[in-house]
Amino acid sequence: MIQLYNVCMSYQKDATALTDFTLKVPKGDFLYLTGPSGAGKSTLLKLLYGAEKPTRGQILMNGMNITRMRSWRVPFLRRKLGIVFQDFKLIHSRTLFENVAFPLEVQGRKRFEVSNKVYQALKHVGLQGKLHRFPLQLSGGEQQRAAIARALVTDPLILLADEPTGNLDDDVACDIMELFKGANARGTTVLLATHDREMIRRYPRRVVSLDKGRLVDDHSP
Amino acid sequence: MLQSIGYFVRRVGRNLRQTPVICSAAIGTVAVALMIMAFFIIVVINVQQVARQWSREIQVVAYFDKVPGEDKVDRWRDDLEGMKEVERVDFVSRDEAFRRFKKRLGDDGDLLDGVGSDFLPASLEIVLHEASRNKTGVETVVRRLQQIPELEDVSYEPDWLERFDAFVNLLKLAGFVFGGFLLFAALFIVSNTIKLTLYARREEIEIMGLVGGTPLFIKMPFLLEGALQGIVGGGVALIGVWAIFALVLQEGLYGVLMVTGADSILFLSAWQQGGILVCGLLLGLTGSLLSLRKFVRI
Repeated sequence: MIQLYNVCMSYQKDATALTDFTLKVPKGDFLYLTGPSGAGKSTLLKLLYGAEKPTRGQILMNGMNITRMRSWRVPFLRRKLGIVFQDFKLIHSRTLFENVAFPLEVQGRKRFEVSNKVYQALKHVGLQGKLHRFPLQLSGGEQQRAAIARALVTDPLILLADEPTGNLDDDVACDIMELFKGANARGTTVLLATHDREMIRRYPRRVVSLDKGRLVDDHSP
Repeated sequence: MLQSIGYFVRRVGRNLRQTPVICSAAIGTVAVALMIMAFFIIVVINVQQVARQWSREIQVVAYFDKVPGEDKVDRWRDDLEGMKEVERVDFVSRDEAFRRFKKRLGDDGDLLDGVGSDFLPASLEIVLHEASRNKTGVETVVRRLQQIPELEDVSYEPDWLERFDAFVNLLKLAGFVFGGFLLFAALFIVSNTIKLTLYARREEIEIMGLVGGTPLFIKMPFLLEGALQGIVGGGVALIGVWAIFALVLQEGLYGVLMVTGADSILFLSAWQQGGILVCGLLLGLTGSLLSLRKFVRI
């Protein structure tokens, strides 16, 4: 469960990214955060993974108030999350296997467990044959699938995705959306920031619309 | 724990293999910085050696009005040798003084034929410990000697002593100032070179943070890498300094210091060589730590 109460966030005095934002996301929900560029979607995700702190308001994740969280606990919050970015954020000097293994190594998992889980995660996204390729040897869609495998390899409670299909063509974007649907079906809460109306129409789910940092609409199909 | 150590070691090995050029640049920077420091230390220890040799000249001679009895001499000798400043006390009889004087005259020794040895006074020659070969040490001994009424005169060349003290103090000050400056410059250069290696991996550092890496977990491989580069840099510096010392410096320094009475040119002692390696390790470690502060922000 994610709860945001009257959250305000401003980077500078007169530049407000979020204003009085209140939202509840039940466990296992799938919702789109949508709105034009600068609406505050990315800021909201950054607040949820602890990269920013709100200037006002409270954020609870699984009963934990992350606005009061000390910085040394932020890594432990992130271990319960999976994060996917528009630009994939894969390490180009590492193979796919090594990239996906990263979150498990960070958690200190044993080597055989890491190997097993990474293989399963890459198999799940259809990349089991490209374990030892480097990211730049893959297409954009394949890189995003690898990024999703990295996000899901730790079986996170919540998956945060920031414009995950923004750089991909329609067919590939649909493949990616199927992966998110599958993760959600297995119990992961998914928050997906996008301004792709066509994708929302094709995969109808709860839609939270933002504009200039304010919540302007929240509806389910 | 062992598993984490193994993981960090594997990562350090992989990082070094993946960025050999940047890594070599960091090692080279440490090596050059430490070589300059090592040369500075070599110059300092050799100048100190010269100063030590000069300090042997510092001794106090106390002349007797009349030749004292043996028991008195022994008592004074025991008393003076009990002082922490005094290394040794030699009694020079009139005969011994005459013999030395004659020897010093060399071929002109004949001039003393027919002259009795009693025109030269007997004396006590007081040799000071190395640490007390300065104005304070000498003055302490002179004050004690002045309490012996049988003594006619005490000779200790106060002007020369003052100049020697000033020289030693200047040497120490120059050592601290120049050595401190070199260390600071080395740290600045090394930390900037390491910053370049981190800049090349900023993407990796960011991603480690996003997937839940703690600051310590993120920093550890870079710190180990910095320490390793520092030690290797220190080793390269020692080899380089030794080669340059053997080929060029030994002869050059000897040429300069020979006129001052130095009989050999010293290289770094085993402790100083160990110190250079530790200095390399600390430079690499501190350089990494300073740079990481800017890159690892969770």
